[in-house]
Amino acid sequence: MISDIYAIYLREILRLWRQKVRLVTMIMMPLLWLGVIGNAFNSVMNLPTQGDFLSFLTPGILVMTMVFTATISGITTVFDREFGFLKEMLVAPIKRESILIGKMLGGVTQAVLQGILILILAIFMGVKFSGAMSIPGMFLTMFLVSIAFVSLGLAVASKITSMEGFQMVMNFMIQPMIFLSGAFYPTTFLPDWLKIMVKINPLTYGVDAMRYFAIGVNEFNIIADLLILLVFSITMILIGGHFFRKS
Amino acid sequence: MPAIEVRNLLKKFGSIVAVNGISLEIEYGEIFALLGPNGAGKTTTISILATLLKPTSGEAKINGYDVVKEAAKVRQSIGIVFQDPSLDDRLTARENLDIHGRLYHMSREERQRRIEEVLEMVELLDRADSIVKTFSGGMRRRLEIARGLMHKPKVLFLDEPTLGLDPQTRRHIWEYVEKLRDEGVTVLLTTHYMEEADYLADRIAIIDAGKIVAEGSPSELKDSVGGDIIKIKCSDAENMLKKLVSNGYDAMLVDDEIVIKAKEAEKMIPKIFAIADEEIKSITYKEPSLEDVFIHYTGKVFRDEEVDEIEASKMKWRMRR
Repeated sequence: MISDIYAIYLREILRLWRQKVRLVTMIMMPLLWLGVIGNAFNSVMNLPTQGDFLSFLTPGILVMTMVFTATISGITTVFDREFGFLKEMLVAPIKRESILIGKMLGGVTQAVLQGILILILAIFMGVKFSGAMSIPGMFLTMFLVSIAFVSLGLAVASKITSMEGFQMVMNFMIQPMIFLSGAFYPTTFLPDWLKIMVKINPLTYGVDAMRYFAIGVNEFNIIADLLILLVFSITMILIGGHFFRKS
Repeated sequence: MPAIEVRNLLKKFGSIVAVNGISLEIEYGEIFALLGPNGAGKTTTISILATLLKPTSGEAKINGYDVVKEAAKVRQSIGIVFQDPSLDDRLTARENLDIHGRLYHMSREERQRRIEEVLEMVELLDRADSIVKTFSGGMRRRLEIARGLMHKPKVLFLDEPTLGLDPQTRRHIWEYVEKLRDEGVTVLLTTHYMEEADYLADRIAIIDAGKIVAEGSPSELKDSVGGDIIKIKCSDAENMLKKLVSNGYDAMLVDDEIVIKAKEAEKMIPKIFAIADEEIKSITYKEPSLEDVFIHYTGKVFRDEEVDEIEASKMKWRMRR
């Protein structure tokens, strides 16, 4: 079972390594966000956040890029189906669960790797990570967020058969979730109807937890953040697993 | 115990019957071909035998294991080359084989040794570390055959192994399939190319509309047609046919041609001219081919329909899942 999962996982990692463009994108996207947007806002805005805006923004960017990376890694299932490799896995004498877990871990690795890259970048830009339990806390949050969105990607990929459909999901599901998560701005001054949207968005708590661990700033209770995140992740894993097995 | 044993296999997609009560017995070491037009149920049959689809009824055993109840053991016993490409084209040939070996629980030493062996066999050893994306269609097929053999399966399925390849490459692939005899593997291949079945197979089952209509070695099948085949083109085929039949000839109309089965064609042709008032445009005779066997058993010309009913409903069925 473990060796089966590893075989599937190994392939995901080999694929990632081969797609240099994807690796470059993984570095370029956060570089643009932090370097350009972060610094630009830092100089034109005086937001009532503790510390400078770049430090406030970094955990948000971290979560955002990880969500993108994790969801897109779910896309590989669509490719597998289109290019037939899924069949190769399905006729192999291994359990369906091994395929699922191997793929999930592949996506999580990719997203967490991305997270680490951003952290290093941020340190170079002068962001100081000073929150309590910084490193283990951030890793825990990164893991929970990425596994939730890899699973979401898998669930969606099991249902949707075209690349166009996948684009639609990214635009109508993932982007609104990111914009309404407080990743880019404090949510305290939003109008009430937007505040409600923010509160029912599970990603909000991921961003909040990340901010807590990274720079010691947060809006909600950290235990509540983590619990909500955990429930969300488990739900997504179950949903992803369910759809993947059916497809 | 036969390598493959199929009894009354039935598969329905909704109301469409794709496989309609097939029975087969294939011995170890045999190369067996399922020959039939597109949509005859060949790929569906293979999918059931490879545990990718569950039969509606009937049973099938591979290497002594039931395809439904002992799917894991069946999977370990078989290798399969799908009709559509299923390699990971971002990985190298070696990596594709290595992942395959891992999925079939081969040890590291076994994998390394076997990768060399199978690549050698399909003459791709020099390209072992090239990314599959750079391979031609023929090379990919060869690599897929190598991959199918990687874990030393008892049975290898080849689903339309030369579909879409040019004649030269096709010949090349045939040579590799021939070599499989030395590997001692049992091969079940599907094809809609007559020459392919004729050239490769020890035994052939002709399949049409989900049913096996004839089975035997290529020469047995051709003999079963009974003698030579005379084909006539003439201006009033209907009328000509009536005359021939009333004179006791075994004739039928296939498209616009009259097809006559003859024991000794060369003696029969002058007699046909004698009774023909119609203007005969052309007359040919030859020993029967598998195509004639197909016509003999189905009364139809062997021809691929565009996307036929079964394929269409299968597609819909897949979409719904």
